[in-house]
Amino acid sequence: MPYLTKAIHLANRIYRLHHPNHHHYRLGLGLPYYSALIHHNFCSNSRKKDDNNAIDLSQYPTDKIRNFSIIAHVDHGKSTIADRLLELTGTIKKGHGVAQYLDKLQVERERGITVKAQTATMFYDYNNKESNTNYLLNLIDTPGHVDFSYEVSRSLAACQGALLVVDAAQGVQAQTVANFYLAFESNLTIIPVINKIDQPTADPDRVKEQLKSMFDLDPSDVLLTSAKTGQGLEHVLPAVIERIPPPPGKRDSNLRMFLLDSYYDEYKGVICHVAIVDGCLRKGEKISSVATGQSYEVLDVGIMHPELRSTGYLLTGQVGYVVSGMRSTKEARVGDTLFHTRTTVEPLPGFKPAKHMVFSGLYPADGSDFEALSHAIERLTCNDASVSVARESSTALGLGFRCGFLGLLHMDVFHQRLEQEHGTHIISTVPTVPYIFEYSDGSKVEVQNPGAFTSDPKIRVVASWEPTVLATIIIPSEYVGVVINLCSERRGEQLEYSFIDSQRAFMKYRLPLREIVVDFYNELKSITSGYASFDYEDSEYVASDVVKLDILLNGQPVDAMATIVHKLKAQRVGRELVDKLKKFIDRQMFEITIQAAIGSKVIARETISAMRKNVLAKCYGGDVTRKKKLLEKQKEGKKRMKRVGSVDIPQEAFHAILKVS
Amino acid sequence: MLKSTIAPMLLTLHSKTKSNTILPLKTPVFCTLLPQSPPTVRRNASTNPLTIETPETPSYKLPPASAYIHLPFCRKRCHYCDFPIVALGSTSPETADDDPRILNYINTLIREIEATKTHFDPHPPLQTVFFGGGTPSLVPPRLVAKVLDTLRSRFGICLDAEISMEMDPGTFDDRKLKDLMGLGVNRVSLGVQAFQEELLKACGRAHGVKEVHEAIEIIGSCGVGNWSMDLISSLPNQTQEMWEESLRLTVEAQPNHVSVYDLQIEKDTKFGSLYTPGEFPLPSDTQSAKFYRMASRTLGEANYNHYEVSSYSKSSFECKHNYTYWINKPFYAFGLGSASYINGTRYSRPKKLKDYTNYVKNLEDGLVDLGEEDDVDEGEMAMDIVMLSFRTSKGLEFKSFVEDFGSEVAVELCKVYEPYMKSGHVLFLDDQRREITEDEFSSLVLDDERLENEIGFIRLSDPDGFLLSNELISLAFGVIDP
Repeated sequence: MPYLTKAIHLANRIYRLHHPNHHHYRLGLGLPYYSALIHHNFCSNSRKKDDNNAIDLSQYPTDKIRNFSIIAHVDHGKSTIADRLLELTGTIKKGHGVAQYLDKLQVERERGITVKAQTATMFYDYNNKESNTNYLLNLIDTPGHVDFSYEVSRSLAACQGALLVVDAAQGVQAQTVANFYLAFESNLTIIPVINKIDQPTADPDRVKEQLKSMFDLDPSDVLLTSAKTGQGLEHVLPAVIERIPPPPGKRDSNLRMFLLDSYYDEYKGVICHVAIVDGCLRKGEKISSVATGQSYEVLDVGIMHPELRSTGYLLTGQVGYVVSGMRSTKEARVGDTLFHTRTTVEPLPGFKPAKHMVFSGLYPADGSDFEALSHAIERLTCNDASVSVARESSTALGLGFRCGFLGLLHMDVFHQRLEQEHGTHIISTVPTVPYIFEYSDGSKVEVQNPGAFTSDPKIRVVASWEPTVLATIIIPSEYVGVVINLCSERRGEQLEYSFIDSQRAFMKYRLPLREIVVDFYNELKSITSGYASFDYEDSEYVASDVVKLDILLNGQPVDAMATIVHKLKAQRVGRELVDKLKKFIDRQMFEITIQAAIGSKVIARETISAMRKNVLAKCYGGDVTRKKKLLEKQKEGKKRMKRVGSVDIPQEAFHAILKVS
Repeated sequence: MLKSTIAPMLLTLHSKTKSNTILPLKTPVFCTLLPQSPPTVRRNASTNPLTIETPETPSYKLPPASAYIHLPFCRKRCHYCDFPIVALGSTSPETADDDPRILNYINTLIREIEATKTHFDPHPPLQTVFFGGGTPSLVPPRLVAKVLDTLRSRFGICLDAEISMEMDPGTFDDRKLKDLMGLGVNRVSLGVQAFQEELLKACGRAHGVKEVHEAIEIIGSCGVGNWSMDLISSLPNQTQEMWEESLRLTVEAQPNHVSVYDLQIEKDTKFGSLYTPGEFPLPSDTQSAKFYRMASRTLGEANYNHYEVSSYSKSSFECKHNYTYWINKPFYAFGLGSASYINGTRYSRPKKLKDYTNYVKNLEDGLVDLGEEDDVDEGEMAMDIVMLSFRTSKGLEFKSFVEDFGSEVAVELCKVYEPYMKSGHVLFLDDQRREITEDEFSSLVLDDERLENEIGFIRLSDPDGFLLSNELISLAFGVIDP
């Protein structure tokens, strides 16, 4: 099967819940407060599920609990279905509040993506064979993009099933494939849902065939819905209850709690989303982290319904939140196991430090704003601990940070959040991937910054390796030719080429990560009129002949513009960079030479001739104010520029070269 | 010639507020700027009027000795013009005599002059008056007389005052010019702009080449002893040959003064909507820089001094009025959209007639007082001084700059210009106006104290430095206000 590599890959990442016996769960005894709760439950079974005053979680042993997530390609309707399910169960009021309830960040709403995992607890009155049973359903919303696949797999680890949502017109897309395999490898029960069946171009039968041929999903198991009109939605939650097994944890075991995600709240501090795998958790208890060894007191515990709802405890199989006095989300390692202090537990498989695949320098657009940027990055990493941050400095851009990201989207989202949530303006350097170099002195180093490439002429590079990805591309068959061209131009190696159905081709490529870092996806979309879907996963390092490409202005290297490129592409990239810079650097009082060079060898060169005139001829009637304003504007313009030697470089030049691949 | 005639008067000032430092300024005395002008009776009688003020008064706080009068009327608006003007349409000069728009405007203008508080007692007489526009020569001389009378009774006018008027070809004849001269107008600024019919037409000028030659004739026959030819370079479709011709005909006409304005494309003008600077049919930057150099060379060879970015004159025929601007001296301004500089405060009047009329009403009602003392920001003042003095061939007086703004910023200024000195855009001169060589400068720059002592003036070179004056001045701004 084509996903062998991925399967192996995932085996290391994913916490799988193997439990042979989850349908016949026995109540555990032995914890005094627990029996008290059960007793309490028997006495108060008239309690309404939506009673605002108290929620009695003890009504819900694991066989009345279902934990599931929704996975989908972007825009296939994941968030809308989530909204409808929350409405259907009365968790949120219909027509009130904002759409995409679980996507809380502006960037998530704008881009239609989920970046942070969220959970929502719903209570559902399941009507079966004339008996009514209340179920507790936990919807665990996961990021859909591969950059966040580690988070996806973590979130999936807390689920026993997933709704695989596919657009009735667009059919299976690249992310559908990636997400399916993530869920499949996690042993989740998959409920296929074909959504948006109200569209005129909907073709559910074709999509059913795709699901059958791609994933071996039985067409008779497929639910047809329109989250927009509400059609078919009534079948979704019954299917969740009937098909997805309850969580398999042991109530009488020591507490083992899985940390799904965390975020920082101004008032409460760090709030962790958790899933109770085994045992129970009560307010006031002491818990410890396997990953950090730190201990905390449980200050508050409850469910997300849909906002924080304190319950004082969480029982086996339940999903909710914990506030424990952590100071930073850095202490809340996603995938960590939390347990009762002074007990011994087997850690849940799941914690693995994030692997950073894309690095770039971040600098304040206005050099004096370093402190503001520093503060913003600190605040943001409070909520996104997966970004690595180290200080660096550049002669052109001053003080800044080298940041490592899980992938491109992650980087983009981080940039966008810095601007939107913290109002900072940044200059990013060209993103780079971590190369490995072996030098003639026998040392082997990972280089995350072109600036760190050795400049010692005595030390030669004897070998170099670059990271690659396995890319999945799904396209209408008429675009196969252009896509093959694009991939080979990007040094791709075709691994697989088949058809999903009569109209759609499915291709797998090994591509150097460097080649997709900048504009691959945009290019792919533009040559396929937006019809291509694309996803990728990290793959191995391969030997590659790469060189450092320097940009020099009037002979002086601009550190922030150096890149590492494949030798065969150096000429073209150098030419493009030089041309871009010529376009964006204004004429100055001196002639400027722009050069691209590998070592001492210049491979591209342009000159910007000196400015001819810049003079305000007339100062009419002594009106110097106007002239002065103009000159002050000019001065401010100069101030915003970055200076290397005697050359002023406008910020736009830095932005422009980001787009050179 | 300027340097030797300027007798700096040392003035000091005590700072008045904590936040806004008021600066001490040392200024050349304007009356002695051009000693060739004969002494006036008034001046002989009362000695130097400036001595009335305490010696500590900075120049910008002195009573203005100059007045700008805006006469906004034009026959039509030229295509490059965004000044506050009033287009009269095709009225003949005869009917213009009784045009109620002109009469009303002059009345308002006179009310403005009369309502202006002076805060200076006694007030020394004006040494320059400049009628700018618009086309001031469209205003009937009897109305000009009323304005001058008002000025005279309000402030006094020196007997030898320079009284300039902008005049357009085709708007005046012998009689009118003689009338104006009889009123005291002794300097004419003739708006020729170009010597090519097609260019004049393309600019929307209300006159042709024939009127230009007639106007030059009239000026000659009336015996105007001090007149300027105003030209515009870099007009659309202007060729090098045309510009050569214009310069040649200018030299042949023998004006005492030539103004050469490089065309500026302003946003809300016809040209602004039609053309992009540097793009056809406008000359490229390279071409218009060449035009500038041609003017500098041609006029220089004909013995005109390039004493300011856009101004050339025969020895001692610099425009005294405009020179007050460059040496940061105060001046009154009256009329639509005009800008005054009194007590360190610059004020631009409303550009719309209705707003201007309201402004004058408020002035009369005592709601506006431009003479009020405002604290002057030291940085702003330093920028003004650099910006204005760099327009002149004399340049920045370094010693007084050091004294007024401190050696730190002055030394910094020298250092920022070091590369531009080497590239020939900036000249450093000693107190005797000898140019400091690159080698000398390289050693001076190592020792701040020597730098301060040795440098007398900083100026922009002609034409390279002048051509890039905006760049160079904004560098100085960056030093003064980082």
